[in-house]
Amino acid sequence: MTQPDRTTQPFIRPLPAIRWWMFGILAILLLLGFSASLVFGSVSIPFDNILRILFGAGAEKASWIKIVLDFRLPKSLTAMLVGAALSVSGLQMQTLFRNPLADPFILGINSGASLGVALVILGFGTTGSLLLAGLGLVGDLSLALAASLGAGAVLVLVMLVGRKVRNPVTLLILGLMFGYATSAVVSLLIYFSIPERIQTYTTWSYGSFGGVTWSQLQVMIPAILVGLLIAYFLPKPLNALLLGEDYARTMGLNIKSTRLWILLGASILAGVVTAFCGPIGFIGVAVPHLCRSLFNSSDHRVLIPAVTIVGAIVALIADVIAQLPGSQYILPINVVTSLFGAPFIVWVILRQRRMKSTFAG
Amino acid sequence: MKKSLKTWLFITLILGLSLSACAPKAESDESTVYLPLVGEQAEVEEAPEAVDLFPDKAQVVYAQGFSIDYYDTYKVVTVTQPWQGASEGFTYVLVMRGSQVPGGFEGAQVIEIPVRSIVTMSTTYFPHLEMLGVLGSLVAVDDATYVFNETVQQRASAGEIAVVGGGAGGGAVNVEMLLEIEPELIMTSASGVPEYDAHPALIEAGLPVVINADYLESSPLGRAEWGKFIAAFYNLEDEANRQFEEVASSYLALKEQVSALSARPTVFTNTDFQGSWYVPGGESYAAILLKDAGADYLWADTPGTGANPLAFEEVFDAAKEANFWLNVGFAGDLASLLMMDERYADFDAYAEGRVYNYNKRVNANGGMDYFESGTARPDLVLADLVAIFHPGLLPEHDFYYYQQLQ
Repeated sequence: MTQPDRTTQPFIRPLPAIRWWMFGILAILLLLGFSASLVFGSVSIPFDNILRILFGAGAEKASWIKIVLDFRLPKSLTAMLVGAALSVSGLQMQTLFRNPLADPFILGINSGASLGVALVILGFGTTGSLLLAGLGLVGDLSLALAASLGAGAVLVLVMLVGRKVRNPVTLLILGLMFGYATSAVVSLLIYFSIPERIQTYTTWSYGSFGGVTWSQLQVMIPAILVGLLIAYFLPKPLNALLLGEDYARTMGLNIKSTRLWILLGASILAGVVTAFCGPIGFIGVAVPHLCRSLFNSSDHRVLIPAVTIVGAIVALIADVIAQLPGSQYILPINVVTSLFGAPFIVWVILRQRRMKSTFAG
Repeated sequence: MKKSLKTWLFITLILGLSLSACAPKAESDESTVYLPLVGEQAEVEEAPEAVDLFPDKAQVVYAQGFSIDYYDTYKVVTVTQPWQGASEGFTYVLVMRGSQVPGGFEGAQVIEIPVRSIVTMSTTYFPHLEMLGVLGSLVAVDDATYVFNETVQQRASAGEIAVVGGGAGGGAVNVEMLLEIEPELIMTSASGVPEYDAHPALIEAGLPVVINADYLESSPLGRAEWGKFIAAFYNLEDEANRQFEEVASSYLALKEQVSALSARPTVFTNTDFQGSWYVPGGESYAAILLKDAGADYLWADTPGTGANPLAFEEVFDAAKEANFWLNVGFAGDLASLLMMDERYADFDAYAEGRVYNYNKRVNANGGMDYFESGTARPDLVLADLVAIFHPGLLPEHDFYYYQQLQ
């Protein structure tokens, strides 16, 4: 991809003004969040036992080893990956469309994934997914597979349209329309389905970190790393885009190829997350705002690593709250992120003035 | 003519009442059931002691959700809890066809009985209709896709039974179609959320709709006893009493037999979905069946008749060493369970092959008979469960609903 020449970036705030020390605090918070999500769960396991299990030294109770290694560890890893992926994806979408309300799903990636999952759960029932397995496709990933196919189809569509359409607003409207069309089909499937399957679909749409197993992580981790890698190559073009496409073009940025790379990376991240964990809202739109405020910056060289870490922390905290430590019950992730996160974000947004300077152009 | 009819009826009633007050209690006899006002039979010459038109009364023992009160020419059926948390019940006045509607029931739905046509919005009514021999009166269903009953399935695909929507998953009810069918009774369940329920639109259209709340009954015998509720609309209480008595006595006999055993294997049910494992409460239908079948249900002490979402790890911790794993949803074999989540393999019950599901009787669309006829035959369900937990007690048992997953 074409990178703008460093000398043509007078608009970027010099790095020293940025609160680098924040990263130290964030790293500590990330470690705390990760530990908390390993320690707190429905089953209470003493902290020393968790450490012993992690270092392979056994535990007082045999089932605890399984719980920590096969339930909590994949769940915590999933939470971190999802938080980072959605936040990075959301940041890119907000910048690409210069729209503070943009989120990873603004182009209908989750609608495509939802349609895939709805077809499996509501359309064919579980026999349908077993049918997929019978066809030699990865059996234990049937839902994830259907969601990936759905998200992938939208991704291809977005890329094709993205090559033709110059105006990003047109893309936005197309994404919106595509969302309406797919949700109509999903509604139709729900309308003609039976309660048990509707409940299964509804549960999927609440989002969850707990359903991801190690064998699914083997697919999920590389896919998310690819998406993140693309984003980490893009901070400068993203900075240029903040000033408007015309301005970026005068700086020698190849708008078309930059846009396609952003769309590709952000869509992979959003699609993979939806495929494995369901449509998880809020994090993707909120964390970029939170980071702009925390770092008092719109510079993507800071924001991309920042949202990666903050996104992971937020998702870990949401996971801990969802486990309702001390109780047997668990809450859906989407409920937690929105219910606990929204008031916090409102407070952050009201305190900051950066919104205007970022999105005014 | 009409006036004289009423006069006759009045005299008959007065005479009958005074007679029945001093006469010894009448024997139940089918021949004494009079239909005084239907067509030519109007000429009632003498007052029979069976002014009591309903000598066969339903005796409701286990069901909590309905009651039937019998009066001389009508019955009053009350559904005390039409849905979870309902603030008031529904009253239905069942009058013999052609006879006068008694006063004092303004606003209550009046149904002329015995009904000759019925529309059902739940598959759980089919076994009762079939056992009572009135399945032929079925004219429409909410949805035929998941119906297990072969007669209903065949008649629906032949177009002899209409599909009108409005059930729990069938979408909005087709009121126009029902107005054209003119059924004498529409039986439906209700959730209390007007957007999801069929009955508000049906009442609005003046159609004879009755709410059946069988699914709220957590006692298996109580749920089966709703057969008597259905029978009341056909004047078939005698038959329903007799059939229920058979079901109940074989259920109770088996339960009694099992209660003598001291060994109670541990059991857990359901599956995880995306990290949430819905575990039935200790007072639920599923839990009561397991208890009556002589099993130690791991969550028998949790309150509630519904199911609670637990974390997978919680269930794993509690059920790792449990003896049996039951009711695994749509899974047809052990391999497909692992496809859903590889961690299932770590349950001892899975590793040792003690996983049972209620999917022995399932049709091509995935409709399961356990959820259809199983509600009317808790004795068969219990026998299957006892054969699973205590095979020595029923050595020759042929499984009806359950099968061991391979």
